[in-house]
Amino acid sequence: MSFYPKMHGGLAAGIYIARTFHHQVNDRKMKLFFMRVMTLAFLLTLNCVLLAAGTSGQDLSQTRLSIDLRDVSLKTALKRIEGSTSYSFSFRTADISSAGRVSLSAKDISLEKLLSELFSSAGLSYEVINSNIIIKKNRPSIGVESENILDNGGIKGRVVDDKGQAVVNASVLIMETKIGTAADDNGRFSFTGIAPGTYRLQISAIGYLTLTKSVVVSSNQITDANMALQADATTNMTEITVTALGIKKERRELGYSAQEVKGDALVASHQSNIVNALQGQATGLQINSGGGAPGQGAKILLRGINSLDPNRDFQPLFVIDGVPIDNATSTDDGSELLSVGNRASDINPDDIESVNILKGGAATALYGLRAATGAIIITTKSGKAGKLRVQCTSTGSIDEINKYPETQGVYTQGNLGVYDSSSFWPGFGPTIAEAKAIDPTHPDKLFNNFKHGYKQGKSIRNSLNISGGNERATFTAAFSQFNQDGIMPFTDYRNYSAKVGGDFKISEKLRFGTSLNYIKSGGRRQNADRYNENLTYFAPRWDIWDYIKPDGSQKTIVGSDNWNPIYILYGTHYVDDVDRIISNSNITYSPFKWLDVSYRFGIDHYNDSRILTKPGPLGVPDELYSLGDFENGVMNVYNATNTVLNSTFMLNFKNSLGTHLKSSLKIGHDLYKTKKNYQYTDGDTLIVPTFYSLSNVKRTTGRSYTRDYRIIGLFADWTLSWDNFLYLTLTGRNDITSTLRKENRSFFYPSASISYVFSENFNLPSWMTFGKVRFSVAGIGKDAVPYATAKGFQIGSPLTNNVSPFNLSDQIGDTNLIAEFTTSYEAGFELRFLQNRLGLDFTYYNNTSKDLLIPVKVPVTSGYDQIYLNSGSIRNKGLEISVSGTPVQTKDFSWDIRVNYTKNVNKVLSIYPDLKEITMGSQFGYSSSTVTQKYIPGYPVGALFGRNYERYYGDKEENPEVLEKDLPIVIGANGFPVLNPASKQQYIANSQPKWIGSFSSTLRYKNFNLYFLFDAQQGVYRFNQFANFLASFALQKDAEHRNDIVVFPGVLEDGTPNTKPVWLGQGTGPDGVDYGSAGYYRAYYRAASENFVEDASWVRLRTLSLGYSVPVALVQKTKILQGASITFSGNNLWLSTKYSTFDPESSSTNSGSVSDGFAGFTYPATRNYILSVNLNF
Amino acid sequence: MRSIIKISFLFILLTNISACNKFLDKLDNPNLVQDPPLDGLLATVTFKTGTNVYSLGDVTSYYTQYLASNSSGSDADIYNEVDYSTTWTNFYTAMSNLKQLADKAAVQNSPHHQGIAKILLGFNINLLTNTFGDVPYSQALEGLNLLVPAFDDQATLYTTSLNLLDEGIADLEKDGNGFEIDSRSDLIHHGDTDAWIKTAYALKARYLNQVSKSAEYSTTEILAALDKAYTSNDDDAMLTAFEGLSPWNEAAVNNANLNLDGWLSTQFVDALNGTTFGVMDPRLPRIASITKFGDYRGTPNGEGRIGSGTNEEESYLSLDGFYSAAGAPLLMITNAETEFIRAEASFRNDDLPGAYAAYIAGITAHMTKLGVAESDMDAYLANPAVGVGASNITLDLIFKEKYVVMFLNPEAWVDARRFDYKYKDFELPTGASLDDFIRRLAYPSVETSRNGANVPEVNSLKERLRFDE
Repeated sequence: MSFYPKMHGGLAAGIYIARTFHHQVNDRKMKLFFMRVMTLAFLLTLNCVLLAAGTSGQDLSQTRLSIDLRDVSLKTALKRIEGSTSYSFSFRTADISSAGRVSLSAKDISLEKLLSELFSSAGLSYEVINSNIIIKKNRPSIGVESENILDNGGIKGRVVDDKGQAVVNASVLIMETKIGTAADDNGRFSFTGIAPGTYRLQISAIGYLTLTKSVVVSSNQITDANMALQADATTNMTEITVTALGIKKERRELGYSAQEVKGDALVASHQSNIVNALQGQATGLQINSGGGAPGQGAKILLRGINSLDPNRDFQPLFVIDGVPIDNATSTDDGSELLSVGNRASDINPDDIESVNILKGGAATALYGLRAATGAIIITTKSGKAGKLRVQCTSTGSIDEINKYPETQGVYTQGNLGVYDSSSFWPGFGPTIAEAKAIDPTHPDKLFNNFKHGYKQGKSIRNSLNISGGNERATFTAAFSQFNQDGIMPFTDYRNYSAKVGGDFKISEKLRFGTSLNYIKSGGRRQNADRYNENLTYFAPRWDIWDYIKPDGSQKTIVGSDNWNPIYILYGTHYVDDVDRIISNSNITYSPFKWLDVSYRFGIDHYNDSRILTKPGPLGVPDELYSLGDFENGVMNVYNATNTVLNSTFMLNFKNSLGTHLKSSLKIGHDLYKTKKNYQYTDGDTLIVPTFYSLSNVKRTTGRSYTRDYRIIGLFADWTLSWDNFLYLTLTGRNDITSTLRKENRSFFYPSASISYVFSENFNLPSWMTFGKVRFSVAGIGKDAVPYATAKGFQIGSPLTNNVSPFNLSDQIGDTNLIAEFTTSYEAGFELRFLQNRLGLDFTYYNNTSKDLLIPVKVPVTSGYDQIYLNSGSIRNKGLEISVSGTPVQTKDFSWDIRVNYTKNVNKVLSIYPDLKEITMGSQFGYSSSTVTQKYIPGYPVGALFGRNYERYYGDKEENPEVLEKDLPIVIGANGFPVLNPASKQQYIANSQPKWIGSFSSTLRYKNFNLYFLFDAQQGVYRFNQFANFLASFALQKDAEHRNDIVVFPGVLEDGTPNTKPVWLGQGTGPDGVDYGSAGYYRAYYRAASENFVEDASWVRLRTLSLGYSVPVALVQKTKILQGASITFSGNNLWLSTKYSTFDPESSSTNSGSVSDGFAGFTYPATRNYILSVNLNF
Repeated sequence: MRSIIKISFLFILLTNISACNKFLDKLDNPNLVQDPPLDGLLATVTFKTGTNVYSLGDVTSYYTQYLASNSSGSDADIYNEVDYSTTWTNFYTAMSNLKQLADKAAVQNSPHHQGIAKILLGFNINLLTNTFGDVPYSQALEGLNLLVPAFDDQATLYTTSLNLLDEGIADLEKDGNGFEIDSRSDLIHHGDTDAWIKTAYALKARYLNQVSKSAEYSTTEILAALDKAYTSNDDDAMLTAFEGLSPWNEAAVNNANLNLDGWLSTQFVDALNGTTFGVMDPRLPRIASITKFGDYRGTPNGEGRIGSGTNEEESYLSLDGFYSAAGAPLLMITNAETEFIRAEASFRNDDLPGAYAAYIAGITAHMTKLGVAESDMDAYLANPAVGVGASNITLDLIFKEKYVVMFLNPEAWVDARRFDYKYKDFELPTGASLDDFIRRLAYPSVETSRNGANVPEVNSLKERLRFDE
């Protein structure tokens, strides 16, 4: 059936929307209109559903109807029949139009009869394939007497792929007669009434090479002709991509950029955290690994920051097999610096089939507000019909610190150049030689604590995947075990995962699938920030590994009052233990070819239990007890449960509207409910020093917390396609959230996207294989965080007299909050050349967000510290370019390359009118060199501000807000650079990368496979707190120059060049001048933030892997094995960066935090050497 | 088939119409209390106001040279602008809760809760304005109604703080209307309304005495207020319950753990160890730690430590001293202080015997409070530099002794400015960034960055506040 004429209106309306969207996104009228179009489409389809509801079956004689035709064209007549039955007609207009007008009235006539009445005089015949009635003009051709029906034969057959699977909808054409048909769901097709003779049968299907085969038809015989199509390896233009809500679409349909990363590419790096594995794999993706801690979190940002709430998780929505999961990094228990993981790190990477990255508004519109920052769609491995497959993979890795700061190796412990083996000061003493003269036990060389304090880490993962099944049911099971020892002493992580799943085809119309995944993860985590700080203080003349006395108490530098960093780690146990279940069930009922009714229910539930213990004083003689770290013994217990429920109901109407136009309309309802509860009990002062029990503490305080958050969504997605080249998708979603008040909690946002595969329409030069342009515009709404509008009183911890004070919460929300709204435009093209040997994908986008929900820091004089307001707007625009190529492809050797390039520029357009700035984060630096990341209109979101040296402006007008690095530094009369007052905070640099790029390549030679991936982030600046601390203790390499006499380049206040030589050391210099007890590094150098906002750009060899697959012939001799391969790989084998301390990729903020301007005392990144063995049974 | 579709749509419809409202009604934060008990708020406001004395005292004690930083050229020591955002925020947090208490008490009609709230509001405002000058009050604490409040001038704030005391007294004198002040939640006077009234009068005397440089100064009013104020050390307004360690004890503990804090200034130590006045004050061992040399040594403001800071070459707040022992109380206003207010007012009223008697009573009260042995106390009072006799009493002596009594209290800086820093041997800190003594603080960044348009300009930290002009 079809509603072809009306469809024209619909299509036109859609185009109209696309054209005028620009101006009217928020216009209510527009929304109304859009909804009307959607409703119309829906009603039309529904209408057909109800009309057709009575009929089914193949036999035309069984289909009865009543009809009254008066002087109508045959075409109209056919339409009327389509409207009353479940059949649809395919015909050539030319064949029909020659037939005259018809008049016919009949009651309860069989369709068979009706058709013969209609066609007899028109010289038409028909054949029925499934519910398609194909009308043909009777024409005598190729010398066959069409009248002689009895003598005619037929052809039937099945179209399969190279694996024997049916190729559904393959088009089959008898080239001589131009008669064609399509293969059904089982790949079967048939022709009858074919005159005897030899015919060429052409079989084509998207994604397969077209096959032509000769068939001999004999009279009164049906010839069998089974066809096996070869997949077209060179084209992926028919690649099916999983889009929002698990909807599979052909890539060519997409009016927005979407990149798919295959499981193999993810596995190459053998990262335990799926987020880390995505590094460099797609454009528009900015990933910052937290560091190399076992099980450590990593954060991911798609197309920049489009929201301004510094406390809100900006990470994209993670969806596994259609079910959104929790990817929070929970630090409710104050574990910001304890390298806890983001919850997506629970996912077994060996079980991932593919990851799709949905970036733009149009791509994520159906997920609604939860995907306002994009979505990562993970598809796990599913069962395939056929024999039982067993895959076993074992991976072992050895990890080491990949970059550590060079430290000075000349000066030893002491102060003012005087040696003191019990000094607090690790490096202000004399040279080693001078110290040795005093203390013969002094070693010949100083340790580099930042190298010496880390050890070799290792990890091992074993995973087993089993799958199999038949046409009715498939199942899959995946088990994995992962154990890791970190490079930092006393850190580890383990993860056990078991998953079972199955898909069942109960009948042709009913399918059911389910999966259940249990994960147990967690490990011992440490505060790397504190550890590195302690390493800084600890005099490198002593060996930190000599950290414990036989009685179990600490061994450290006596008299220095510095604690042994390793002993602190030894004593501190912070262990998290997560039990998690992710389950997913879905059912699809397809009553008709054109309708799927599906329902999916997902649950993600975990319990996160964390225990922190620290020992009390052991009470042994001469004990050195670090009160600051161990606090007289601690036992803290944290228990959190988090449940995410997701229910999606969807109707999918698929229609062919005549030969060219196809429609697919999806209407759905989505329900999302998440609840988090936690209880935190803090026990201080242990009675028995190392007995860890809450009954062994002197005081306990507790708190509990509940968060309930719900969303209801209604959505529609209407995709229209015209032949195989023009696609229009309109989506609309209405979210109703629990975080905004009733009047404002329901909001609607539409999207429209167009994809035009122009290579199907134009005669392009032969070297151009494929070309597509796309454009999309989308609105995305985003609600407030839970309880943003709430106010009330908190109950504080009990005071020492056991009274619990109630105080007003200093955070409040504007009760009139509305959803923030982002409008995004995206345009791009996709080109392929030279038979797909070279491909180019280009995207430009421009996203503007307004009414941003921000917890605005307000004057405390208002009575509150923070008020949640709709305030401010921001713009992100960028380019994404991806080039792929296959320079060489022969039977034995192939070479693939891919280059990804991403550039995102963002700018804060406005903030709340009465405010000058919004502080996003800051990190301490000595002597007021603290650096702050702020939102200020006109600046990028990553703007870093700090204290700098004074500059000489001369006649130039000074902009006090911005550091002009190129101007000469003002040198004071004492010969040292002049520092600005601490209150003068200037913009120094931007922490957001200028561009991100990657270059990867795969070379295959026979059974060998070499893969490498280089990636880069350029133009990134970070405050290096670590370097600031090193400078404060004169430990950096450069501090070896401390006894130099220098003339600082710069000018005096009057602009004349500085000529005064000064000494950099402490105390009285060789020139007899007293330079004070601090010395240059402590008095000047460390106080200027500009010295520590370092260029954190890098280029690295992210992954290099060499694999060898054992030849199949050899493997199969074992009778058990089907395949075997071995892979050697390495991560972070090479790194080029100007950054002075650890790998700048690691960040000192936890993976849930958005401030990225700080990378200092982090858990250092690692270099991994990996061996992996894969066996298939 | 029809039925399936119908049911499906019915399902959507139902969830969205009937169940939807209930399903989505999750606006209220279950982790916050909507209607706290008045006494729950009372605990907060008494605690926070008491703690503010520490919070501000930790700022002003460097200017009064009770304390000195261990590092040389420390901003606080040498009069550089320091960002006191935390202190400022602490005051407004306390005041915000006080306003909540006052409003709730008014609604519930509990005059005693209201009275305490008003007295403490006045207390906070007075400390603030004497430190920062103009500050927001009449437009402040309005939340969403007024996010960026204007600043009130000092004269208005001064009057406001006095008026709030009068209103508080009036409220406390009313019938309690059935509301008891919970003795445990009142962390200052433990439910004793009479004690609160005395404190209100003591504060009134303090405030009236603050304008000694101005024409509005009235000894009559001061003495009248004092007559209704404290009579013994038992009346002292002080905080004795804490979140963990008592704040000055925490400073001493931190120092012992090498997070250097609570270092005593040479000015203060020398004033008590005999260097300046030739008499060893028996209170010094009750305050300061002894050095490794067996004596008491301060650190000159601006100069910083001599050695590594860990070798006990200087005196610190003592771990068992009166002000810094475990659980040490935070003094807001004391009987010893009111005696010195009486001494000063009497002196200015030309009542020398009255002034001298109050001077001796003040020293005695303070020494008693600190637990000085009677014999030591007598010896000290008998020293000719101290026990000068009524005819020889001077304003300098009164200020000199009050300086000791007011140790660590922010009101001491008001005294220092009224006295124009004329304490014996009181000098500018080493490397001072001003050519004269500091007279006020700059506005903190928490206010300048968020309420920039309203913050008054401060040209110099030498600018005198209204009471000091």
